[in-house]
Order: sequence, then structure tokens, then C-alpha cells
Amino acid sequence: MYRIGIDIGGTFTDCVLVSEATGETRLHKLLTTPADPSDAVLDGVAALLDAGGIGIKDVSTLVHGTTLVTNALIERRGSPTGMLVTSGLRDSLEIARERRYDLFDLRLVFPSPVIRPEARREIAGRLRPDGSEMIGLDEAAIIPAVADLIEKERIEALAICFLNSYANPAHEQRAVQVVTAAFPALKVSASADVFPYVREYERWTTATMNAYVQPLVDRYIARIAGRLGEIGFAGGFHIMTSSGGMVTEATARRYPIRLLESGPAAGALMSAHVGRSQRNASGTTGIANLLSFDMGGTTAKGALVRKGRPLKKYELEVARMHEFKPGSGLPAKAPVIDMIEIGAGGGSIAGIDGRGVVAVGPRSAGASPGPACYGRGGTAPTLTDANLVLGYLDADGFLGGRMRLDRKAAEAAIDRAIAAPLGLDLMRAAWGIHEAINESVASAFRVHASERAFDYRTAAMVAFGGCGPIHAARIARKLNVPRIILPPGAGVMSALGLLRSPFSFEMARSHRVRLDALDRAAYEALFAPMLAEVAAILGEVGIAPEAMQISRKLDMRFAGQGYEIEVEAGATPEGLASAFTAAYRAVFTNILLDEPIEIVNWKIEASGPPPLAHHDFRFASRYAPDAKGPRGRRTGWFPETGATEMAVYDRYRLAPDTAITGPAVVEEDESTTVIGVGDRATIDEHLNLVVIPANAPSASPEAFR
Amino acid sequence: MSIDPVSLGIIWDRLIAITDETLSTLVRTSFSTNVRESYDLSCMLFDAEGRSIAQGTYSVPSFTGTAPETVRMMLAAHPPETLRDGDVLATNDPWIGTGHLYDINVLRPVFRNGRIIAYSLSITHLPDIGGLGFSATARQVYEEGLRLPVLKLVHEGEPDTLVFDIIRTNVRVPEQTIGDIHANIACNEVAARLLLEFMDEYGLESLQPVADAIIAQTEKGLRSALSAMPDGTWQHAIDIEGADGPLRLAVTMTIDGDTLHADFTGTSPAIPMGINVPINYAKAFVVYAVKCVTTPATPNNIGAVLPISVSAPENCLLNAKAPFPTGGRHVIGHFVAPLMMGALAQVVPDLVQADSGMLSLVNIQGLRPDGRGVSSIYFSCGGYGALKGLDGAPTTPSPSNMTGTPVEVWEEISGMTVLRKALRPDSGGPGQYRGGLGQDIVLRNDTGSELTISCLSGRTEFPALGYSGGRPGALRAVLIDGRAVHPKGRYFLAPGGTLTLVEPGGGGFGDPALRSPQALATDLAAGHVSREGAARDYPEAFAELGGRG
Repeated sequence: MYRIGIDIGGTFTDCVLVSEATGETRLHKLLTTPADPSDAVLDGVAALLDAGGIGIKDVSTLVHGTTLVTNALIERRGSPTGMLVTSGLRDSLEIARERRYDLFDLRLVFPSPVIRPEARREIAGRLRPDGSEMIGLDEAAIIPAVADLIEKERIEALAICFLNSYANPAHEQRAVQVVTAAFPALKVSASADVFPYVREYERWTTATMNAYVQPLVDRYIARIAGRLGEIGFAGGFHIMTSSGGMVTEATARRYPIRLLESGPAAGALMSAHVGRSQRNASGTTGIANLLSFDMGGTTAKGALVRKGRPLKKYELEVARMHEFKPGSGLPAKAPVIDMIEIGAGGGSIAGIDGRGVVAVGPRSAGASPGPACYGRGGTAPTLTDANLVLGYLDADGFLGGRMRLDRKAAEAAIDRAIAAPLGLDLMRAAWGIHEAINESVASAFRVHASERAFDYRTAAMVAFGGCGPIHAARIARKLNVPRIILPPGAGVMSALGLLRSPFSFEMARSHRVRLDALDRAAYEALFAPMLAEVAAILGEVGIAPEAMQISRKLDMRFAGQGYEIEVEAGATPEGLASAFTAAYRAVFTNILLDEPIEIVNWKIEASGPPPLAHHDFRFASRYAPDAKGPRGRRTGWFPETGATEMAVYDRYRLAPDTAITGPAVVEEDESTTVIGVGDRATIDEHLNLVVIPANAPSASPEAFR
Repeated sequence: MSIDPVSLGIIWDRLIAITDETLSTLVRTSFSTNVRESYDLSCMLFDAEGRSIAQGTYSVPSFTGTAPETVRMMLAAHPPETLRDGDVLATNDPWIGTGHLYDINVLRPVFRNGRIIAYSLSITHLPDIGGLGFSATARQVYEEGLRLPVLKLVHEGEPDTLVFDIIRTNVRVPEQTIGDIHANIACNEVAARLLLEFMDEYGLESLQPVADAIIAQTEKGLRSALSAMPDGTWQHAIDIEGADGPLRLAVTMTIDGDTLHADFTGTSPAIPMGINVPINYAKAFVVYAVKCVTTPATPNNIGAVLPISVSAPENCLLNAKAPFPTGGRHVIGHFVAPLMMGALAQVVPDLVQADSGMLSLVNIQGLRPDGRGVSSIYFSCGGYGALKGLDGAPTTPSPSNMTGTPVEVWEEISGMTVLRKALRPDSGGPGQYRGGLGQDIVLRNDTGSELTISCLSGRTEFPALGYSGGRPGALRAVLIDGRAVHPKGRYFLAPGGTLTLVEPGGGGFGDPALRSPQALATDLAAGHVSREGAARDYPEAFAELGGRG
């Protein structure tokens, strides 16, 4: 049988077909069809089936990743949505966090809530923080309020948001019953069901966004599933979530907010997989700690992989007013892979900033008009223009030769905007653009890693995306990262990641309890309903409880501190205090507080067996190793040498054990790898290109823990 | 050696990145919740001459203004030629540092090949410093806690055990306080390591050419913005609610070519209450206000400070000397930002922000229902001032950036019930661009026992001013069981009693007669302006809507 992965991005829809028996893999890339994204899905499936010479009945599973939810929130294309909220607290969505995200920009603007004030109704009823009832729910008020919202505001979805529901969801659950009984067509999201975390603004905002996109996602999934059914597809249709796992379409429809960042999550998941195949210090396979670096046309994304798993977190922001300013967006509480996003990509525009120095991004020329060298009307110099002028990109070989780049236009743009005004040599200006991006990516990784007590000097970097491989080796040098791995299929890593992702589901809830007041029975009783729920969700796709990988995690802190640390927990509370102090020491400091320890949040992360665990992707039709030498030479510019001759290799023809010494470039259709002066590279048995930077302490695998 | 704009941009950004990583280390290793959650801290790099060249992005902005003077005075006490590799200096003197004893300033020289090539400075708000604790009730600085002159905390890598013993003996939470001082030492060590690694990578022996260029470029930006303003002298004064009648802050601002001078003559005398401001801290908010209006996007360094000078009569509120107490210097000091905006409004009316409602702090002490003690500060915000072309955001702090307390968090830690927390219709100052709305908060004491309520806020008599024809925002009120009380007073709240915080609106910008009817209609639909308010404050736009909205 076969599996298909389809990742719908802003510009391209990437499709991958893989044989479950052999790992043989076929790729197909086509333009996204924004008017009806299912067109590209159906066309992509048809192309893959054709190329593989198989029928739709041979496909067991189709995994889908999409940016639909993110885009709907940014573009406000969700449905008219209402809100029932605890009396006295209607304005929580505007009052928000009462914090500025920029200390110097007086003109800062905050995002509007997705539900307008006039579409909210207050309902009496009150629970205390311990979950006990202070005032009973005013059930009689619910139906008239919702009827009024349907009539006046034409709502199609409703968010039910009551105070302290994280501690006891009874009022919200009762309200859901009342509403769904009276208005069965309405999509309803209750805040504690979507994500039962303390802090009303964040929880309610999450629930309102979930409700807002629910009708849209519902129609979208129904449309794709329906059309696949029409062509005879009878396998499993699954959706990728932001946390790197698959869910069923039913779960996706219930929690669409969990689909926010599925593509990048799949990329990070692939990095973890690539790391598993690398040889490490003890001679066995598996590099457990990795930096996952993905850079495309407009943004770069970084994630950290620790002990073989991408780090997760439970909050992200959407619809930011300033894409790269934390706090300028709407918070969504949902399990996601912990990622940094940097305004750096091939289309990033270079200019001279207020300080009179070269600055690149975050503004991007995008695909249209695009970099000056695309010849589509872009006149501002971009990173891609700089990389062309430096000789890293081949004007005739871009996208496998499907697109010719105009080097003269790139030179003119850099000269006009940077070199001439600053009195710089053209190559120096181009290098300035290139190196500014290296610096900003390296800095972002440094701070991200520092905040998570992650030692990147003993990690390897996995780099992919259209632009990642051009910059990876230089960035790794800056970070003293001793090895860079560039897997094959760098341009479709997210789609490949979809095929590697297991079924998974995360549950979390806030419940504050002091560790010294917690016995085994209470501990088990807290986790039990969460375990039952994840077991039910994974059970729907036939995963037996014994096949599930369950991890319990607790957010713990010293009482009185607002800063929680995630601790891996077991089936019983034994040893939690020492696990907490060990984690505290690793992230913070050796000095411990003389305060009681408390648990704040309880989390279950459950997943099924990873698919295709025993296969590499085999790109038989594309990667045909034969020659060991370069296919040519051209001039490249490096700060150590100035303009210099460098070897040019064809990635598809490089055989395992080929040894390359920089300066050199290795070209494939969707990306080019730059190997700097003194860097050394080889091809491993999985067809990964492995680069050892010139400044690495040792080329041997001992560098890895 | 001159430095080209490619290297300068890269090196400049890298120096900022080093301070960001230093700051992240400091946050991770500190105890104080002020540091962890409110980022009441700063990390900066200085060149060999003691000039600031880079500052961690999430530093307290006002410390940009205090730090250059801090380092100058620290190095005057311990000249560079007396310093050895591994030495660390420290002080918490309000008149050398940031204006109150709570902040420790920790400075480490960075050596390369036997020479000092830079200094790293960190500042954090300590969990405790002895004395009365964090309050404004002291009558002299001696009551506010331990005051450390500039001293050598670490001698060539060896901590001075006597100094640590003295601190340990004088504070309530010695483990945490000492821990935080170690966090400062550690983060500056990280800064030194990162800086030296970076200099190795780029083959730099000295930072001087880079420092000169960074400071020159920054200074040039500010000087050219000041040059673009007309020369002249402008005055502004504001009043703040004091315990025994209003306190006045006054400024005479002179722009002369590419320099700006602020003189605080006319400001009320210092008082025997811990809200006096050392001039260093007042200057910091002058620098901050000028920066927001002129060069908000330029990274912070001494170049943003050099063209600005201040003066003030000795022992006025904004130039209090020892032994006047300064523990809550921010309570008055924050008003220097709107004070300066009022002067700048006369020069560059389209660039300034109308006044904001600002923050209120209420310290609540008592027993929770479970019998455990509670002593916590409840933060809540008034509305943000409007700007030309932009309505003020609701409930947004200014110029400080403390975070409002979520209802669910507050109910759990305090045992109080938040009956209502809602925007206040019509509280935004009317204007072509409306001031941000304040909020009404009603908190009931459900702890079962009496609570002590200490308030530290203003704007109950003196509203947030509007500019360019915009009108003031609504006033703040603090009520106990429905009765208005003083915003800087201390009260008791009986079980079942209610504390009501009526948070003020921000000032409006521009003539309300020019308010667009569409904007008014949106406000009416959302309930942010009432029909009565629309008829009263926006008669023209309201009439155009047919008086219906």
C-alpha cells in the first residue's frame, strides 16, 4: 500500500507518494489553487498515481497539512461568530493583557478580537477558582441570548466562555447542551473544552478563534473528503496539527485551532527523523539534539530537537500586527512545536536603515514582484539577488533551469540601493546582505537556545527549505555547531514530514496543587480522565492502548513564582520533587528557593506508532548517484578569499562517500548548498549531504553527546 | 581604522544580540518576580571609555538614561587602572544607580590581552534590601534599607565574603537576594565570554572604532531630528495628587540647534515620603520621551543621551538628594514622560501622544480563606493616549509596562472575587482621535477576614490631557464600599466589602468636531461611546448619523 502527503502552502502545493513496502518516493509540486484548494489536492493526487502507476485503491492513507486556519485568521475570513460570557466580563477580549509589545513605538496597534462586542451576551452564573459554585448558571437566559445573536448578528458559530471553567467545566458544558439542543446547526466551542488553561483572556481568545474558523474548516474538510470519495478513495484521510501529529478529520473539525502551523511542524519532525539516522559518539545511530533550520522565500523558522523530539509549547500567536514582534498578535493556547520565526528569506528586501547601515528584511518582495533578478518588475535588492551576485546561485540553473535569473538586474539593484549610496564595492555590498541574514538567524537561535538551556555547540543542524542550505554552513560556524545535515528533498521537507508523523493528541489542564499535599490516588485521579480522553481519540483510528506512547508532563514551580518549568512525570508522583529541582537547575540556577513546590498545569502527550519507521525515503527516480567529480566550476565570492574558483556539484549524481572541500556549491532543483572555504562535506548512506564547518573542533562524531 | 557600513551593521546587531543573550541568562537565573515576569532589569555593554554601546532589547527603557552616569560614577570610585581581570563592581546607591535601593547595578570590566576593552553592566530589582520593605512610607532613605557604596563584589574571580555576609544579614530573603546578585555576576561573565568570542570571530583587537561609529550614527540621528525642530523655549507643568495637596512638576524645555535641555524649576519641593526622584531617574524619562518622538527605532546607546541635558533646583521632587526617601520614585518619575510630551506638543504637535490614564497599583494584605497570608499587588491600567491618526488603545500602560493581573489569577491568589471588569464607556478623552478607554473593576473581599488596601495611583483630580484640541480623559476613582478614597492612601476592607477601581481614560487628539461619523458609529455599536456621550462630546458626527448611531 501507499501513503500520500499533501502540504498546501501559500504558493505551492507539495505532494509526496511513498510505498509502505519499499520506501520508494515520488514528488510532485504544483501551484496552490486559492479559489478552491481541493483542486490542487485532486490534481496532485492524480499526478502521483499516474507517476507511480497505481490506483487510488492502493492508497491507505492521505495526510494533509494546510495553512487555511492561519490565513483565515489573518485575513478575517471566518464566519460571523457570537460569544456567551460570564456577567461583568464581556470586554475581556479588548482589555486583553494590558501590556505594550513595543516600548518605543507610541503608535502601536493591537489586533481586533474576532468577535465584535455587539455579538457578545453576558450570562449570569459564577464558579470559584476551586470549581465550586457561587452563583448557579442562568440557563433560562441562554436560548433567548443565542436566538437574538442569530437574528441580529447572523452568527454561524458560538464561543462559550465562562470564568474559572478551567477548574470546573460544568457551566460551560451545560450551556453547550442547551445551545446544541435548541440550535443544532450552530458550531459551538466551549473554552475549557478547547483548552482548559487558567487566564481568561488567553483561553477565551483561543475559544473564540476556534469557533470563528469552525464552519470554514468544516466545509473545507468535507469538500476535500467528498471529492476524494468521488474518485474512489477509501483509506484514511488525516490532518496534520501544529504539534507534529496527525488527527482524524473529526478531531480537526472539533479543534481547528490546533491546525495553525502544520507545515513547519512537519518540517521539524523530519529534522528529528534525519537526526535519528546519523552516527553519534558511541558509534550507534542517532543524534539526539538538533537545530532544525528551514528558510524559504519570506521567513526562516528554527526549532530545537532535544532527545530526538522537537520541543513543544502550548501557546503561539496568530494574526500579529507586526509579524516578528511577540505580543502583537492574538494568543492561541494549543500544543505546537516551539519555533522561532525570523523575517529572513530569499525575498527579504535589503536597504539602508535609520542608522545608515545595511539592513535586510523583514519586508519581503515575495514571489511577486519578487527579487530584482526574477525580472518580474522587482527593483529592490533582495537576499536572492545578493546570493546570485556572490555566485552562490546559478543564473541558468535556478529551479533546475526552469527559471532564468537576471544577474545584471541583481547587480544594478544592489548597486543602486546599497553599494552606491554607501560608497561600497558591489561584492562587499552583496556580502553585507548575505552576512546580515546569517547574523540575524544565528542570533535568534542563540537567544532561543539560551532561554531553553539548550547547548547548540553539541548539536547538529538540519537545514532545508529553498534558501536554508545556502546559509546553513556559515550560520553553523557562527554558532560553533560542528555538523550540518542537508537531507535530500530539501524543498519538500514538510510534505515528507507529513508521512512520518504519528497519530497524536495532547490534553492539558490547569489545576494548582502543592506537591506535599498530593498523594498517589489524587495524582492518578487527575490524570485518569485525560488519559481516558486521549485513549478514546486515538482509539477511533484503531490504536490500542498498549501501542500508545504516553508521556505525562507537569508545569511546576516554586509557590509564588510565576515562572513554570516543564517536568517529565511518571505514572505515580514519586520522585517529582527531585525531577523538578533537576529541571530547575538545568534551566535556571543552582540555588533553589525555600518555598513549597506546586504543580500548575497537567499535560498528557499521547501518540501512536510512527509510520514508515524502518524506511528511508528512496528518491529512486531523481537521485541517481554515479559521478564523483564536480560537474563544473564557477566564480564565487567569499570573505576569506574574495572572488575565487569553486567546484559545482550535481546533488542528484553524488554517490555516498564523495568527499568535497569548500569552497564549493552543490546544486539540486529546489535549493543550493554553499560549502564555505575550508568546510568539508560528504554524502552519507542515506544520501544526506553532511558538512563539517572549517572551525569544528573535530570532524569525528565524538563532538556529539 | 574606519569601518564600512557592512561591518558596522553586522557588528552593531551582534553587540545587541550579545546583550539579548546576557539578558536571557539573567532572567533565567534570577529569583525576583519583578525580573522574571516584569523584566525589571537591564543589560548593557559599554566601551573602554565607559560609553554605552548596546542594550538588551527587553531592558527597562528608562535605564538607557541612567546607566551612562552610573558607569561614570562607578569608574570614578574605582578607576580602570585599579581593576583586574575577574573583578566585579556593584552599587545600589539611588543617586549613582536607578533612583532606589532596590536596584543593584553590577559592572564587570572585560579584558583582552591584558587591557580593558569593554564593560558589561546589569541591573535588577532585588527581592528585598532590608528596611521597611517595598513601600513609600519611609521618611528618610535610611529607613528604606541597606545602601551599598560602589564596592568590589568580586576580586579577580574571588567573591568578597564580607560584602555578601553584610547583605545576607540585612535582608529578609537572603537566599533569593544573594542568588539574584550571583545571577548578575554570572550574566556579565556570559557577556564577557560572548564578546571575546565575537572579537575572535571577526579578528578585532579593540571595540573603539566600532563604538565610535555606533555612537556617532545614533547621535547624528537624534541631533538631526532636534535640528529639524525650531529653536526656542517652551514650558509645561502638570499636577499630581499628593498626600497633602497637589504636587507640581514643571519643565522649561529649550531646544538650541541640535541639543535639548530640560530644566525643572517650578517643581514642588521633595517630601518626606518615598516617592522622591533623584535627577538621574528624572533625566531617564526625558531621554525616553524625546526618543519616542524622534528616533524610536534606533537601538539604545549613549548617542541617544548625549544631546540631552537636564537641570533642577536642589531638593525639588525631581532632584531629591539624600536623605530624602526614594523607594517609590517611579510613582512620580513616570509623570516626567507626559510632562515632556506637553512641552514637545508645542514644538512638534503632530508627533506627540496625548496623556495616558496610566497604571494603578493596589497592594493587598491579609489572610486568604485557607488561612495563608497574602500580600500581592493588583495592577490595572487606564486608557492609552490618542495620537494623530490613531485612537488610543483601551487599558494599556504607559510609560511603564507592568502587566495587568488576569481575573482568574487574581481570584486564586487573593481570595477576592472580581465581580466586574469592563471597559468604561465615554471615558476616552473626546477628540478627532479618541483617547483609550479606562475600565471599571469591582473586587469583593471574599476572604472572610479584613484586608489592608494600600493604593499608589493618581489621576483622581488631574486627568490625562488631550492635545491639538483633544479633550482630557475621564478621571480615576478608588472607592471602598462605594465611597471615594485617596489614591495614595491606606485603608481596611471588611469581609464582604467591595473595592472599586474606576480606571481613567486616555486623552484625545484633535478637535472632536472633526471625528469621523463612521468611527463614532463603530464606537456606538460597540458601546464604547454612549448615545448621551455622543450627543455631548461629538454633536457634529452624531448629527450626521441622524442622532441615532
